[in-house]
Amino acid sequence: MLKLVNLTVKYGNFEALHRVNLEVDHGEIVVLLGANGAGKSTTFQTISGLNKPVSGHIMLNGQSIAGKSPDKIVKMGIVQCAEDRKLFQQMTVQENLMLGGYVHRGKKSRLRATLQEVFELFPILYEKRSNPAGSLSGGQQQMLAIGRALMAKPEFMLLDEPSIGLAPLIVEQMFKSIQQINQEGTTILLAEQNANAALSIADKGYVYESGKVVVQGSAEELLANEEVRKAYVGA
Amino acid sequence: MDIFIQQLFNGLTIGSVYSLVALGLTLVYGILHIPNFAHGALYMLGGYVTLTMMVYLGVNYWISILISIITIGILSVLMDRLVFHPLRKSTPIQHKVAAIGMLLFLEALAQLIWGADYRQMPTPYGQVIQFADVTLTVQRLIIVVAAIAVMILLYLFLKKTFMGASILAMAQNREGASLVGINTNKVAVITFFIAGTLAAIGASLTSPINLVFPGMGHLVILKAFVIIIIGGMGSIPGAILGGYILGFSESIGATYISSDYKDIIAFVLLIVILSIKPQGIFAKGGV
Ligand SMILES: Nc1ncnc2c1ncn2[C@@H]1O[C@H](COP(=O)(O)OP(=O)(O)O)[C@@H](O)[C@H]1O
Ligand SMILES: [Mg+2]
Repeated sequence: MLKLVNLTVKYGNFEALHRVNLEVDHGEIVVLLGANGAGKSTTFQTISGLNKPVSGHIMLNGQSIAGKSPDKIVKMGIVQCAEDRKLFQQMTVQENLMLGGYVHRGKKSRLRATLQEVFELFPILYEKRSNPAGSLSGGQQQMLAIGRALMAKPEFMLLDEPSIGLAPLIVEQMFKSIQQINQEGTTILLAEQNANAALSIADKGYVYESGKVVVQGSAEELLANEEVRKAYVGA
Repeated sequence: MDIFIQQLFNGLTIGSVYSLVALGLTLVYGILHIPNFAHGALYMLGGYVTLTMMVYLGVNYWISILISIITIGILSVLMDRLVFHPLRKSTPIQHKVAAIGMLLFLEALAQLIWGADYRQMPTPYGQVIQFADVTLTVQRLIIVVAAIAVMILLYLFLKKTFMGASILAMAQNREGASLVGINTNKVAVITFFIAGTLAAIGASLTSPINLVFPGMGHLVILKAFVIIIIGGMGSIPGAILGGYILGFSESIGATYISSDYKDIIAFVLLIVILSIKPQGIFAKGGV
């Protein structure tokens, strides 16, 4: 279980997160909703160890991980697929994927098997395996970013707005893939502005507003909530 | 024609050394995102350590080089840990000032220890080989062969090992590297170590045909800087190719134009290449 307890994060004097509480159970898909600047990415950056919290706790299976370095957090099983993807642009698709398995670099045969699984999930990546990451389309780059995260065989995957800037058809495909990854055993924390699509695959969600969680509940509850619908579903 | 071939070989010799130094500079650029001017001081100290081992302690040439490689590698790592790492949150200009400060400091230190004299490093490989009408010394042949061997090893390390890939990854996307579980501090240490060893190898190989003195790093680092601009900042093939382009231009230029102007060639080349390809030969990205 991944749990945030009263997590507060600042950039200089600006408080980007204020006492955020959040719980992700094994096997779930949990959605973070909120407008631009609400604090979703900051939550992810802090879980991943790229930001240090001012106060509060981040608990992974009962152990505090706040303040640990990013590479340790990946080793502990939390991998983030960042908003701007952070790919290695001049490396090939396959090189990017192999680096995704960096924490398992001692187990070559296992890495090859995981690589096959990623290629099965995203066949286009197999076709483009020798192309530089920078030459892929936006949707393909997003698949590569997710594939690279999968290579670490994470227990928890943090997906930051995977649908951003993608064509509707690709978005639909992306959400199907996310659901499939979840069914194969990875717990997913998903930040999205596309509330409808996200809630349709999620178990529960949290709604952020200027650094605070203002509404939380099951996917059904959030979809039925008038305010949430008005603000994020566009209905 | 024979003169031409002779000069090609000389260009290959000088170019090999330039490439080694530029490779170190370009690797460290991937970590710091500024050219580390103090790299020139590492080159100079690499020459002095080998010289000292051979002349004062009577150690064999190759063992002297090995000691120099290890010493300069460690010094390079210390430079990162003691100076650049603590500055990591500050602006690029502060990095540059720190780098120049270290260059000046290490030069003054060398002058204090070894004096300001120009010294000749002895070599056990002074023999001359006559090859049709081309003459070459064994030392020059060793420079070329050793440098190319080192570059091949470096290439294999970067391309075929996870540790090498982590260096390239950090250069291309630092946060991306963190997010796949790479320890960026470890990578910085390894990169600085390798850069230091490359500088020491370059200096130790070339010192028997040049001279060792406190300011010997100046021109070399300026030229290596030109090379990585020509080759594209941070580009590995660019550093190698750029080194050889400069080596050839200088030796051909020295013969057919005037050897007095040979050190200007680097800068003329810089202007010409940048006016044709402003991002360098191996420019990255779509810009
Ligand atoms: N590196 C940063 N430095 C300063 N302020 C930041 C930084 N990153 C984000 N912020 C601010 O923190 C707030 C939350 O941003 P973010 O977590 O990126 O929101 P979201 O991902 O929900 O769009 C915003 O007001 C944003 O401007
Ligand atoms: Mg965001």
